Amino acid sequence: MARRYDSRTTIFSPEGRLYQVEYAMEAISHAGTCLGILAKDGILLAAERRNINKLLDNSIFAEKIYRLNEDMVCSVAGITSDANVLTNELRLIAQRYQLQYDEPIPVEQLVSSLCDLKQAYTQYGGKRPFGVSILYMGWDKHYGYQLYQSDPSGNYSGWKATCIGNNAAAAISVLKQELNETPISLAEAEDMAIKVLSKTLDMTKLTSEKIEMSTLTRTEEGETKIKILSNPEVDKLIANYEKIQAEEEAAKKEKLAQQQAQQQQKS
Amino acid sequence: METIIGIKGKDFVMLAADSTHPHSIMVLKDDENKIHKISDSLLIAATGDQGDTVQFVEYISKNILLYKMRNGYELGPKAAAYFTRKNLADYLRTRYAYQVWLLVAGYDKKEGPQLTFIDYLANTLSVNHGAHGYGGMFCGSIFDQYHYENITQDEAYEVMRKCAREIQKRLIISQQKFHVTVVDANGVRRLDDITAENLKN
Amino acid sequence: MALNDILKHMPSVGDMLSDYKSTEEMDFINLSQNKVLSAPPYSNPVENLAKLHENNDNIKINFDHGTTTLGFIYQGGVVLAVDSRATGGQYIGSQSVRKVVEINDLLLGTLAGGAADCTYWYRVLTSECRLYELRNKKKISLAAATKIMNNIIYSYKNSGLSMGMILAGGDMNQVSLYYLDSDGTRTMGKVFSVGSGSIFAYGVLDSGYKWELTDEQAYELGRRSIYHATHRDAYSGGTVRVYHVKKDGWNLISEEDCLDLHRRYEAEKKK
Repeated sequence: MARRYDSRTTIFSPEGRLYQVEYAMEAISHAGTCLGILAKDGILLAAERRNINKLLDNSIFAEKIYRLNEDMVCSVAGITSDANVLTNELRLIAQRYQLQYDEPIPVEQLVSSLCDLKQAYTQYGGKRPFGVSILYMGWDKHYGYQLYQSDPSGNYSGWKATCIGNNAAAAISVLKQELNETPISLAEAEDMAIKVLSKTLDMTKLTSEKIEMSTLTRTEEGETKIKILSNPEVDKLIANYEKIQAEEEAAKKEKLAQQQAQQQQKS
Repeated sequence: METIIGIKGKDFVMLAADSTHPHSIMVLKDDENKIHKISDSLLIAATGDQGDTVQFVEYISKNILLYKMRNGYELGPKAAAYFTRKNLADYLRTRYAYQVWLLVAGYDKKEGPQLTFIDYLANTLSVNHGAHGYGGMFCGSIFDQYHYENITQDEAYEVMRKCAREIQKRLIISQQKFHVTVVDANGVRRLDDITAENLKN
Repeated sequence: MALNDILKHMPSVGDMLSDYKSTEEMDFINLSQNKVLSAPPYSNPVENLAKLHENNDNIKINFDHGTTTLGFIYQGGVVLAVDSRATGGQYIGSQSVRKVVEINDLLLGTLAGGAADCTYWYRVLTSECRLYELRNKKKISLAAATKIMNNIIYSYKNSGLSMGMILAGGDMNQVSLYYLDSDGTRTMGKVFSVGSGSIFAYGVLDSGYKWELTDEQAYELGRRSIYHATHRDAYSGGTVRVYHVKKDGWNLISEEDCLDLHRRYEAEKKK
């Protein structure tokens, strides 16, 4: 009987749920992880790249991080073909605003406009919701650096740091531990992103092929600078992380050895 | 046709508009306000076809207010002027083209004062001083002579008086009274009218 | 039978009508939806309507025109005064037109320009005002009523409507006066006069007008202004009607033939 309420998005189940929307969320929780961290001097997005195959043409560089306009970048988790439709729509919305007002669209307006579309697909008959969650980072003159997340239901929210996709809950709890009230710098955020990814991604060793990272900063001249980190740059971050990790490990071992020595002395 | 004029200073924009409402060869009314307050930091002075000016300015004004309601912040004066231009341009090639001439004046806390000249063909120009209408033709040289970058509000008002005096002296159409309104960091303020009587003093 | 069935046999409009095949297209929509007026069955009504007059076939369309109407505010309220002549070209169609329309207990309007246009849209306005009352359980304000009228008129701008209206009424404990016309103008003011005789009416009105007028002086000023317009303007005449509008409603003050007025004023002059 459950079939009666989950085959169409427009119909509530007797418990008041929209199954198709929930299934879409489920699809995302299997997708590649994306995380975003808001720093005081910039923002970053990092994403897990799943399609690594030697035969793939790597001249098509960015797979999950999309530039939307001069001030905004987004990263997607979910069905890539759905995501392409949505990023195309995002770029259109941004340009339409530019055409109407001769200035870049404020970040929240872009997010909420797209969410109107996402919401529509949970209500109008014969449609399937978009199986995509999106992280947006951007800058506008009203609220400065901003990080948003949106999901298939059309809900969106602003964050200091957040994560979507596979193992997102685990990543968020790591972020909660790592972050406190004092804002961090972008450099610290980069290290933190690698740390969180290495702890949550299901792999023994991080490599730059598996990670995409992008940063957004403002220059002194008042221009937005969007950078997609190259593989060597990501490798450097990973190496740095591994070095610290190794040092911590060594320190831990030493401490353990000392403790053991002390115990031996006592006895 | 009636006159609207505007002057931009370092930290304000001042608009003046004559208050006649002509109807064929008659003056239907001599206290018409042509400077419309859109918000605490935005003014639009409009002249042209009688019905079109009111309808168009109302349409733009309500849309700008709607923007504020939706987003919680105001559209800046540059964006507001561009939005006005865009609408005018979109209607231009339809059967419902608006015959309006506009000066959009605004003050933004970050970007400062902004004065935009827009004609009925949607030609748009950011200017330091501008004017529309037959009366406006007499003002160009007055601005060139008396306007300078750091002009004060008092001096700008005096330039408005010079313009009004010249219009009343040389233009064959009677324009007895001018409304003057200024927008700056403190908001929108109506100044004393410039009239034929007080110009004598 | 639809309008084009009649018109297509007329040489002057026959070719203009060639684009229209279906008779349904030109049914009289306004009978069921009174705010939607069927446009004439050809493009660009303003230009093409004029062609009807140029051609020598037997269609004669002369709209009733020519009027003097006025309205002004003074300390005691608003006075509206009008003549009663309707003309179609040189021909006097009627000497007994009621040019003040009684919209409801509080609102009055005058009509000038196309008599048919004015009366039609006043009827629409009257029904709109009544519907407003039924929906909102209160009388409509003059500002709102004039805005409704203005929005309708504006949507037909450049379609050939010809109207000049003065509306007066009491609302919010005050009386106010509006001028509306088919160019889409809607404006508040103290003194208005509309119609071919308005230039004559203004002469008397402006020289005699002041805020402090008593009621009797105000009635007489309105009456005299219209009378002088009927005297000078061939397209104005008939009966001079004077109305008084106060906060709580309006009264018809007088209806006098302009010839009687003429005799009386001439007699007064001789004294």
